[in-house]
Amino acid sequence: MITQSWLPLLVLLTSLLSGLIIFTLPEKSVRTRTTLNLLAAFSKVGLVSWMIWHIYQGQHYQIRIHFLPNIDLVLQMDPLAVLFVGLSAVLWLTTTFYAIGYLEGSPHRSRFFGFFSLCVAATAGVAMAGNLFTFLIFYELLTLTAYPLIVHRGTEAARKAGQTYLVYTVGGGVLLLTGTAWLHTLTGTLDFTPQGFVQQLPSELHPQLIVIFILLIMGVGVKATLVPLHGWLPQAMVAPAPVSALLHAVAVVKAGVFGIVRVLYNVYGIDFAAALGITFPLMVLAAITIIYSSLRALTQDDLKRRLAFSTVSQVSYITLGVALAGPISAIGGLVHLVHQGLMKITLFFCAGNIAETLGIHKISEMKGVGRRMPLTMTAFTLTALGMIGVPPIAGFISKWYLGMGALQSGHAWVIGVLIVSTLLNAAYFLPILYTAWFDQPDTEQTAHPETSHLLLWPPVITALLSLAAGLFAALPYTPLEWARFIVSFEFLQR
Amino acid sequence: MMGSLIPHIVIWPLLLAGMLQTPRLRTLALRLSPWATFPALLTALFASHHEVIKLPWLLLGSEWGMDLTGRALLLLTGLLWGLACWHSRYHLPPTQQASFFSWFHLALAGNIGLIVSLDMLSFYLFFTLMSLASYGLVVHTRSERACYAGKCYLIFVILGEAALFAALLLVASTCSTLSFEAARPLLVQSEWLDTILLLAWIGFGIKVGTIGLHVWLPLAHPVAPPPASAVLSGIMLKAGLLGWLRLLPLGEATLESWGEWWMVLGLLAAFCAVLIGLTQRDAKTLLAYSSISQMGLLTAAVGLGLILPHAWPQILTTILIYSLHHGFAKGALFLGTSMLMHTHPISRKWLLAGVALPALSLVGAPLTSGWLAKSLLKTQAMHAPDHWEILWQNLLPASAVATALLMARFMLLAIRVKPDETLPIPAHIHSVPWAILLLLVAIMPLATNWLGDFEISLSLIINSLWPLMFAGLLFHFFYRQAIRDTPLNQRIANLAIPPGDMLAWYEHSIRITSARLHHLLDRKLPCWLQKTRHMLLRKLDLSAWSAHLDRAEKLLCHWPVALCGLILLGIILTRLIPLANQKLI
Repeated sequence: MITQSWLPLLVLLTSLLSGLIIFTLPEKSVRTRTTLNLLAAFSKVGLVSWMIWHIYQGQHYQIRIHFLPNIDLVLQMDPLAVLFVGLSAVLWLTTTFYAIGYLEGSPHRSRFFGFFSLCVAATAGVAMAGNLFTFLIFYELLTLTAYPLIVHRGTEAARKAGQTYLVYTVGGGVLLLTGTAWLHTLTGTLDFTPQGFVQQLPSELHPQLIVIFILLIMGVGVKATLVPLHGWLPQAMVAPAPVSALLHAVAVVKAGVFGIVRVLYNVYGIDFAAALGITFPLMVLAAITIIYSSLRALTQDDLKRRLAFSTVSQVSYITLGVALAGPISAIGGLVHLVHQGLMKITLFFCAGNIAETLGIHKISEMKGVGRRMPLTMTAFTLTALGMIGVPPIAGFISKWYLGMGALQSGHAWVIGVLIVSTLLNAAYFLPILYTAWFDQPDTEQTAHPETSHLLLWPPVITALLSLAAGLFAALPYTPLEWARFIVSFEFLQR
Repeated sequence: MMGSLIPHIVIWPLLLAGMLQTPRLRTLALRLSPWATFPALLTALFASHHEVIKLPWLLLGSEWGMDLTGRALLLLTGLLWGLACWHSRYHLPPTQQASFFSWFHLALAGNIGLIVSLDMLSFYLFFTLMSLASYGLVVHTRSERACYAGKCYLIFVILGEAALFAALLLVASTCSTLSFEAARPLLVQSEWLDTILLLAWIGFGIKVGTIGLHVWLPLAHPVAPPPASAVLSGIMLKAGLLGWLRLLPLGEATLESWGEWWMVLGLLAAFCAVLIGLTQRDAKTLLAYSSISQMGLLTAAVGLGLILPHAWPQILTTILIYSLHHGFAKGALFLGTSMLMHTHPISRKWLLAGVALPALSLVGAPLTSGWLAKSLLKTQAMHAPDHWEILWQNLLPASAVATALLMARFMLLAIRVKPDETLPIPAHIHSVPWAILLLLVAIMPLATNWLGDFEISLSLIINSLWPLMFAGLLFHFFYRQAIRDTPLNQRIANLAIPPGDMLAWYEHSIRITSARLHHLLDRKLPCWLQKTRHMLLRKLDLSAWSAHLDRAEKLLCHWPVALCGLILLGIILTRLIPLANQKLI
């Protein structure tokens, strides 16, 4: 049933138009800009909620625009897209609030918010893309719109980080483009279909399909920070806190992983991919990424850098989950897409708060921060524990499903990886918590409120969301239930 | 009706912990703190049997309820935590109370929650909550010693959590259920049975203080404030035991080798801990070792259950009674030590007499709670297969003798405890919680009538009397000897095993192994290998390694490198394409 096909376009336009309008606004019209931003963010959340409600009842939204011969631009809202769009809509809203507070009084805000909205629009496009071509377009748009955000501060380090970022992502984009074009010559279609569209090809083409798979995965793997393609992310942490938060939790990194999920599920089809033998190397690569980057995180003293390496590790859980090629692990991987987003955005918000309010960037300087910023550090603590996998926070649910899925698919060694990762996570998160809560601060000073409301409440809310996502995981409309809903499409309807 | 109370008994302490964070409600919350376990106690006493409530909204769907095991441990929790709360209210400096009770109530909520949880995930949730919140109790004083103990504690907690996570995953996956009760019978057929049992032994054994995994315990328990030590030793150790009772297929199948493993380690702990405990200089550390030894007996009883599935119901009852006894007695000992640390209106003689009662009970002196527990344990041991039965019948009295020596040593240390002038001076009324505990220790044997087949007989009394007398004689002899100033005596007097005993070995052996390895590699390898190794060593030095990686990652950031990489990739791929096409043709 294809009705109300303009709705996906509308979702895209909420952030796209607001971004374009914001560019035209003068720097001083703070109120107009803020209103516009919030209006767009709220209306997007509203639209997405409306669509979630209807999709749950079997409604399907799709819009197809003719673009080139044989190639259409397709925007659609399937359950998988909803998962990502929903996440980005909610986190865009919180990040907008946060960014308004964070950038108060700083220059180039119109530019910032303009690109910010565009970046979110591109993310929504990536999520809703109905074929590989549309995906590619928005993926590249995302690459470009995120660049001005990373170099926003304009410092030497920021420019360098931006350069690195571009080298990596444009390179990845080229690979993705090659893969996509190649695939198109073989199949003549690029439309995402529930169990993939390449398995009908004759078996002589399978070696080519493997090469294309490598191209595609390397293309999206740059953004998904698979080791050794992760180098840009720890550099990019020089960006302002809201950008880092968005980058790590929603936009760029997630777009990469989302690409992996799309390629595995809707291009190749998970069973076919497993039969081709390409999921196992991906699984091993994800496992290596998880362990390697956790080890790297151990030695970082810069808080945001440590968090960046943690992202590299945590995002690979998602890759691991889908590459395990079983329904339960897929639930674990997909649900972690949301859970990791909620938790990581909180951690970055908190890191931003601490840097902005106290001027502290290094973990060794965080002595007694818990006493000076109790709410911020409580949010940080909750989500850091969630990252370790402590129940009842969201990360535990992901880990549980990943472990169950690993056993179901007969890869018990993955549990070992999960355990080692848990221990390493504990080893790099717990010292931060110890320093913040139990060490004596160098100077005794408290302030009420601990920081401005716009900075304080977004992390508190996202922390509560990640707590709720874990604690009430079995309720309808939680990320877990939605992931189950998606997986029922991929695995059971055949 | 009472079923609806079960969630509230967990929420109530959580609520108190929350209230303590709000300055306006803090005074009220502190005033309410002694009542933190009141709903739990009511539930333990009055909830209907086999009460089960489903909480489909919690985690992946939870199941809470009450069975015999849960009721016994909830009773212990309700009484011991409640009395410890009450005691801390008057015996801790008022400035420390808010922070202390925040952690205390969180740990309490975890403890209550894990008792009422009948499914794996909520059990794991509350087990974690209790373990992590207790960290705050361990490092309460923030002294260097406390911080070191806290670090060891936390490392072991995390290791235990990881092992437990894997164990529960394996159980849930092979039995496809989250309910402990449904999983137990299915577990025996699981292909992962051995792995699960090993992981459960590690995961819960760390909490119980099984020998080898106990090293954190003598460090962590004594550094906490005494009421916290009372609950740590008295009840939180039993959380691990409860884990075993819930998870292991007890009463479902005979698991001979695993049962023997549990028994050997348990009995080993019962004696080794006493030996190490005897050398301690600090009363509370000694008590921690006594806990390890007593938990050793309980561990051995679990092993007995693994061997004798048909006798499991009776063994379970024994384990529960033993747990209650040990909880009350150990709680009374720790609170007694706390009383001795204060300048008290009660005369010291009375205090020491009071401390002596639970000490005697631990030994198993007639008509105390320990006597009841030990007699029951002895009865159960009769079911054991031949050689094990002989071993049990001989080792149990021997362990009583050992415990008696340990307790005598404890009394000597307790006499030397000096009142601390800085602590608040409590009134007479503030001794009530301790008095209640003493009363519980004393009257527990009277509760035997609900046990049915247990009768107080003269032979039982005499049987339990002789280890005590023998230990008395032994101690008397040694004490007389020890006052003489001979070189041997001095050497014995100087003998002190540091708390955490094997921890020193662990640290030492890690150091030695790396040193040996270095030595071996430095001296024993041929020259060219040495050179390679030195080069590798320079590369592998962690800081240098990290710097290297940093440099390597920076290298990845250069334009030329990235471009070259891409070109290289392109070349490789173009090489691959013809290959693929060949197959096509």
